[in-house]
Amino acid sequence: MAFSEGFVEADGFRIRFMAAGDGAPLVHLHGAGGMRMTPAHDLLSQRYRVIVFEMPGFGQSPDNTRTRTMVELSDTMGAAVTALGIEQFNLMGTSFGGKVALWLAARQPQRVQALVLEAPAAIRPAAGSRPPSGTPEEMARRIYAHPERLGPLPAVDPVVQAKTRALVDRLRGPDRDAELEHALRGLATPTLVLFGTLDRVIPPDMGRCYKALMPNCHLVLVYDAGHAISTERPEAFAEVTTDYLERHEAFVISRAETLIHP
Amino acid sequence: MKVSYFETGRYVLPPDLAREWPVAPASYDPETGVEAFRNMVERVKFVEALGFDWVSVSEHHYSPRILTPSPVVSATWLAARVDTIKIALLGPIVPVSNPIRVAEELAMLDTLAPGRIVVGLLRGTTNEYLSYDLNPKESRERTDEGMELILKAWTEPQPFGWQGKHFQYRTVSIWPRPQHQPHPPTYALGTSAEAGEFAARNRLGLGVSYGTFELMAKATRHYRDQCAHYGWEPGPDDIIYRANMILGETDDAAEAALARRDGQAAFPVRPGLRDALLAADARNVAGERRPANVGGVLPISFCGGPDRVIEQLRRCREEIGAGVVDLSLHDPGAGDTDSMMHALELFGRKVLPRIREL
Repeated sequence: MAFSEGFVEADGFRIRFMAAGDGAPLVHLHGAGGMRMTPAHDLLSQRYRVIVFEMPGFGQSPDNTRTRTMVELSDTMGAAVTALGIEQFNLMGTSFGGKVALWLAARQPQRVQALVLEAPAAIRPAAGSRPPSGTPEEMARRIYAHPERLGPLPAVDPVVQAKTRALVDRLRGPDRDAELEHALRGLATPTLVLFGTLDRVIPPDMGRCYKALMPNCHLVLVYDAGHAISTERPEAFAEVTTDYLERHEAFVISRAETLIHP
Repeated sequence: MKVSYFETGRYVLPPDLAREWPVAPASYDPETGVEAFRNMVERVKFVEALGFDWVSVSEHHYSPRILTPSPVVSATWLAARVDTIKIALLGPIVPVSNPIRVAEELAMLDTLAPGRIVVGLLRGTTNEYLSYDLNPKESRERTDEGMELILKAWTEPQPFGWQGKHFQYRTVSIWPRPQHQPHPPTYALGTSAEAGEFAARNRLGLGVSYGTFELMAKATRHYRDQCAHYGWEPGPDDIIYRANMILGETDDAAEAALARRDGQAAFPVRPGLRDALLAADARNVAGERRPANVGGVLPISFCGGPDRVIEQLRRCREEIGAGVVDLSLHDPGAGDTDSMMHALELFGRKVLPRIREL
C-alpha cells in the first residue's frame, strides 16, 4: 500500500501527513525523533485508513516556538484530524506521541474510539529517561533491541535535530505528570499499551503503571523488541494492534486454530 | 560446598529388556513402578538424614532410565514427605512446555513448600523433543522465549499479554505468585553462550553438567564474564555442576567398579535417527560449536576413595567455580541400588563433612 503525502491547515500550522488505506481512520502520532514510516504502517493500512501526522516543529516543518504544552499540541492534532473531515477515529501514539495521544483522548474522549500506545513516554521512571540522541549508530543502540539487524538510523540534519530537541524538551513535561495521571484514572477509552521486552529508552516495567491507572487498559509485552516495536517486529505489532482495534477487550479470546487435519 | 543428590526413580529393569530408546511400554511393570517410587521417597529421606542440602529431580521421557517425566509431580510428592532438604527441579524442559503452566505450577509448589524449592530451566536433550513433537530447530528460540516468559509471569504485578515469536497469550495473571520473592532461586541449565547470557542478564544461577572440568570451566567463565557485563558477580551457590561419581571405600575399589561399568548407553537411539537428530540440532559450549548428546553414555567425573574424591571436588570448586554439586553415585539406570546406597552412606559419612569449607 503506497502512502501519499498531504498537508492540512490547523491552528495556524501547515501540517504534513502520510496517508494510505481505506476503512476506519487510524491516526498515528510519532515519537520524539519525528515521523518514521515502518512496515507496520503498511500492514495496518490493509485494514485501516492510516494517517501518519508530522507534528508541527518536527521534520522539515518550520520551527515551532508557539506550542507551549502537551495539551496545546494535542489540541492542535485534534484540530488537524477535524480538518481532514474526520470526527471519530482510532489513535496510535509512539513514545513522545503516546503522551500527546493520551492528552487528546483525555480532552476529547467522545472522538477517540480506541488508543494504541507504542512504548509510551507519558510515565517515565524516577531515575529519569532522556530521549535517544547522538550519532545514527548510537541512536540505533538505544532504540532497537537488535541494531545489528537493522543498521544505523537514517542520518538526521543537525539543524532539524536541534530544533526538535528544543521542542521536545519544552513539551515533554515531568516524569510523572499528576494532571495527566488524574485524567487517565477517569478515561474509559479502550487502550492498548505495548512495550518491547528489551526497551532501552523507557523501561518496559512502566507499562504496568498505565494498566494500574486506566480503567480499560490492556498491556501487551512484545518479546525481543526494543523501543521501536513497529520497526523491529512489525508483523507482531500490527497483528495485535489490528486485533485490538477490531475487538477491543474481547481481543483476549483466542481465534488461533489448532486443527491439523479435519 | 553444597551437595545435591540426583534422584532418578530407579526402576529395576527386567533382564531381557531391549536397549533402545524409546522403550516399548509393553515392557513396563506397574508394580515395579510403584516400588520404584516408594523407594524414591525412602532414598530421599535417607539423603536428608545424611545431611545432603538438596535432592534434584529431572524431566525425562519414554524410558525407565530416569522414571520421572514430570519434575513437578516428583517434587511435590517428595516435598510433602521430607522436612528440611531442598527440592531442586532441574528441571522443566522449557521448549516442550507451556511456560504459563510452568510458572503457575512452580509458584504453587514454592507456596506449598516455602523456602524449599530450587528451579532449573533448560533446553533438554534432542531425542526427547520427539516426546512432544518439537522441531529441534526451534528448541533454542523456544527455550529463550519460554524462560523469559516464565520469569515475567512470576514477577509482573499487572495482567499482561505476551506477543512472542513462539508463544502468544493475551492475558497472563498468575495466582499464586511465588512465596519467595521475586521468585524461587532459579538457574538456567546449560553450557551454551545463550544460557550464560540469559542467566547473567536475569541474575540467575547457571547449572552445567557432565562435561570435563576444563570444558565446564569455559562455560562458567563465559557466564561470569556476562555477569560482569551486567554489573554483578555470582557467588558459589550460583553455579551447579551435575556429574556422575563412583565412590569406593578405597581408590582401588572405585577403580574396580569403574572397570566393571559396561560403558554402553542404557537406551541408545537407533543410529539413523541419532544422525538425523544431530543434524537437526546445533549446540555449543560458551559459543564453541559442540555436537548434541543424543542418548549417549555420560562420563564419570569423580572416581575414587573419599580422599581422592574430596581432592577432585576441590578441583571442581576451583576450576568450574561450582558451589553446588548435583551427584549421581552411579550411572542413572544402573540396576545395582544396594551398592549405590552404600556409596551414599559412605559419602555422607566420609566426604560430606569435609567438603563444607571448599
